[in-house]
Amino acid sequence: MNIEIVTYLLYLGITIALTIWVAQTLHKNGRIFLVDVFHGNEPLADSVNHLLVVGFYLINLGFVSLALKLGYDISTPKEGIEALSVKVGTVMLVLGGMHFFNLLLFSRMRRRATIRNAPPPVSPDAFTPIEEV
Amino acid sequence: MSTLTLLYDPECGLCRRVQGWLAEQPKLIELRMIPIKTDSARRRYPRLNHEMTSEDLTAISDRGEVYFGPKAWLMVLWTLTKYREWSYRLAAPELLPTTRRVVSLVSQHRYQISRVATSISR
Repeated sequence: MNIEIVTYLLYLGITIALTIWVAQTLHKNGRIFLVDVFHGNEPLADSVNHLLVVGFYLINLGFVSLALKLGYDISTPKEGIEALSVKVGTVMLVLGGMHFFNLLLFSRMRRRATIRNAPPPVSPDAFTPIEEV
Repeated sequence: MSTLTLLYDPECGLCRRVQGWLAEQPKLIELRMIPIKTDSARRRYPRLNHEMTSEDLTAISDRGEVYFGPKAWLMVLWTLTKYREWSYRLAAPELLPTTRRVVSLVSQHRYQISRVATSISR
């Protein structure tokens, strides 16, 4: 196997493993948020969680495969490692961006859900009996 | 809480205009308006000091909690879907004194403001 093939295989191995790890982290820890957003409706939370993770996989794996092309030749291991580092770094930054975007979605959904049941901003000045007519 | 009742001054043009605006806003909690010092207001709240209600807006929850003046206005914001977050912001300790001052100022001068507003729109 020449150095180029090794670089490509290493790139795919590292980035796909990273994507799976981030997606699973999101899946595992996002569930608690979603259950809270949907007021304990666990089947709905699981469904939305799964749909989000599918979108996450599609976007990230799509980016990984688009970013595979190097555009120049590699002849030494040093060049191979450098190219690999640039590519993996880019994918990690995109993954990180996607991850924070997902967190933003979660926190927005949660805030919108909690504000509906939030208590009044001030305490009452007095109490008065009500006569229903 | 599922309804908030407002005791408003029907003689003040500003209040009527605010009432019209409130009616169009999407709400998280139902708003009910009763003019101050009317029979229906006195019948519904027999133990309330109704003289006080002409000084500033009074809001009463369906559980009998009475909010007066600036607090009543904050409660009105709280019932509105779009402005609930603002009710917390304005009620925060850093902003509450300013909120109180502005609301009291507007309430005290509500007849003058109404007159200026109608003369401008004419």
